[in-house]
Amino acid sequence: MKLTARMNAPSRPRSSEERAQWARANVWLFLLPALVFFVGYQVWPIIRVVWISFTDYQFLANEPANLVGFANYAEALTDPLMWAGLGRAALFTAMFLPGTIILPLLLAILVDRVRNQRVATVYRVIILIPAVIPSTLIFVLWKWMYNFQVGPINHFLVEVLGVFTIQTAPQWLGGTALTLPSIAIMEVWWGLGYHTVFFLAGLAAIPKELTEAARVDGANEWQIFWNVTLPALQPIMMILIVLRFGTSMAVIDEYLIFGGFDRESPTYTWTIFMYDQAFKTGLWRQGFAAAIGMIGAVFMMVFVGGLLYLFRRKG
Amino acid sequence: MTERKEHELILQEQWRRRLLRGEIDRRQFLSRTVTAGLGMAGVGVAANFGMGARSALAARPLTPTFYQWIPDLHPAIPEVNAGFPDLNFQIAPVEGFGIERFVAEAKDQKSTWDVYVGMTPFVEMTAMIEADVIEPWDNYIPKEVIDDILPAIREECSIDGKLYSWPFLLDVIGMSWHAGITDQAGLGGMPPEDWDAYLAAAQTIVDSGAAPYGATFDAHGWRSLAPFTHSMSPDVYTSEGLFDFTSDAAVEALILMKNIMALSNPDILLAGTTDGGVNGTPDELAFAAQRVGLYTKYFNAPLRMAQYWDDPAMLSMGGLPKFKGGAGSTVFWTTGSALFKHGENKEKAAEYIQALTYNPQIWQDSIAGTATAHPGQLPPYASIYAGWNADRPDWLPPFVDLVRGQLDRARAIQNHLFGLQQFVIGKPIWETYLTGEESDPKAALAKVVEAVQAEINRGG
Repeated sequence: MKLTARMNAPSRPRSSEERAQWARANVWLFLLPALVFFVGYQVWPIIRVVWISFTDYQFLANEPANLVGFANYAEALTDPLMWAGLGRAALFTAMFLPGTIILPLLLAILVDRVRNQRVATVYRVIILIPAVIPSTLIFVLWKWMYNFQVGPINHFLVEVLGVFTIQTAPQWLGGTALTLPSIAIMEVWWGLGYHTVFFLAGLAAIPKELTEAARVDGANEWQIFWNVTLPALQPIMMILIVLRFGTSMAVIDEYLIFGGFDRESPTYTWTIFMYDQAFKTGLWRQGFAAAIGMIGAVFMMVFVGGLLYLFRRKG
Repeated sequence: MTERKEHELILQEQWRRRLLRGEIDRRQFLSRTVTAGLGMAGVGVAANFGMGARSALAARPLTPTFYQWIPDLHPAIPEVNAGFPDLNFQIAPVEGFGIERFVAEAKDQKSTWDVYVGMTPFVEMTAMIEADVIEPWDNYIPKEVIDDILPAIREECSIDGKLYSWPFLLDVIGMSWHAGITDQAGLGGMPPEDWDAYLAAAQTIVDSGAAPYGATFDAHGWRSLAPFTHSMSPDVYTSEGLFDFTSDAAVEALILMKNIMALSNPDILLAGTTDGGVNGTPDELAFAAQRVGLYTKYFNAPLRMAQYWDDPAMLSMGGLPKFKGGAGSTVFWTTGSALFKHGENKEKAAEYIQALTYNPQIWQDSIAGTATAHPGQLPPYASIYAGWNADRPDWLPPFVDLVRGQLDRARAIQNHLFGLQQFVIGKPIWETYLTGEESDPKAALAKVVEAVQAEINRGG
């Protein structure tokens, strides 16, 4: 009896207040792993970058960093490379983003209308193939496709169609005006299957009764698409636009691979400017580079805020 | 049984000595003694080593790290490694010449590696010194070796009289041509001695239809603008050590580039496909595809590209042409080894690098080529050339004498924190002249100077 009492006493809260405290403690206990991960992996690096952006920290220098207030921000905001970089990133986003919505949406509607389940599955698998190819292979493939001298696209244009000569053939990559559209085409192709799956999921969630009721009311296919399907897919579109806006504004790998560090190249965006300052130029001014990164991040957050407002649930 | 015991004891003694010398650590010692059947006897030996052993226990095997392309192009490196048992050979995380990992470790007063093989002095040596990553070799390199380094190379690898890069692979910018194309164009008197003759030859190639393009070059400044400038005068550096873009020689070089461009592959100015646009450049592809007759670049490039030709024997090489009355110099650089300040095994590292850089098989493979690679990179030591002169190997091609001869007149790009970056920053600006956007070459180059200075002065 005594033993039982001793065992129960410290572990079981008796009053309702104690039970509530115990429940709150339990909540924090279970939240702790996620919290440690969130703070350590996400919040702390952001705080650290914000702090660095207010210093004159140079990675190659051995002197300690000094606080410089908003000097890095002022310098970045008055630097033409910063604005040119943001402009180039926005231009790429404008080329890329419609391709993540319109083409996958059309493709999803077509695949959704295939009634034979086996055929539909085959379509879905084929569409998804580019999405599962590793990025390295994608870049190697498209570098070859776009190659000025030996690429199949120019071969087709020069040797088969004869619309260009070997001297006048398009220069797709390497810092020309065609570089951003070329990369955008590659990215749209790469993400086509992935984005189509989003829309297929959205289409599957639309109750069949809605479209059938519309048909009974005399709506044609076009009217059903505009008035039933498209509004129902709006949340999917919002997710895709917000997600892909962030990734397309902050592209860096493709620009490094297809454009290099030529400051006049359309691929020299704010992300390359940041990387160039942080890891390539002079004593690696990472304080300044952090300020460039923060300005880019704020710019994107404001834009995403605008998008969320635009897509807000009305009524 | 007795014989076996004796054998075990011999082995034990050998391993004990190697443990004391720091060549193997305690774990390796114990695992080997156990494997050999010594069991607890070996453990007892290890326990009796005292203080001397403790320092040995902390030691690690010699750990060099190489830029990936070096072992790829030089298949005899494993032969050198075989002479250093327990060598911990590694590939460096330096894609695109990135040294951030080295710097990050140095900030923590440590280094995973002992020596880095892959440093090009004008590219990253100053940065590595500024960041306190590397230390000079002078305390470890034997005097006879340092005296053996060719004077121009020794100057390239030194700052304030201290040798920070132990040179290994020498590259010199020169000229090469496709003899099949030049013969078809009816060109005699190759190679052209001056740039006027070079341009005339390129024009003849295009006019004759022997190839679509007459000549090509690599548009990166350190591979074209600087060597073309040196061919008129190598004295084109400011007191700070920066390239003098507004010198007469540089202006003439830029005009020359525009003249060559008129006869070259149209994509000549595009970024390359690897290493952040620096390598895999369009000139290489044009030369590999046998679409161009004449080519100026470090010899490694035409040697590699000619391997794709129908007949690689058609490759011919010569010195860089010069301007009439010019100095006839060019640009060279070495890829060498850096000694990590916070690394270990420094004496051993020197021993290894000496063995590596004097290995005769590496040089034979590099110059004569192997089934897998033909880098054409040359040694940095006077004694090796003297040996070849005294007893010429049958595999030694004439281009070696040519490169060696060019080296007496060639000059390295000066070491500076912006040694490479000045050309990266300037390239799109001087290209405004090449593309016709700017009509005055001097004005374009003056803007380069302004841009480089602005970058240096950033942040006060």
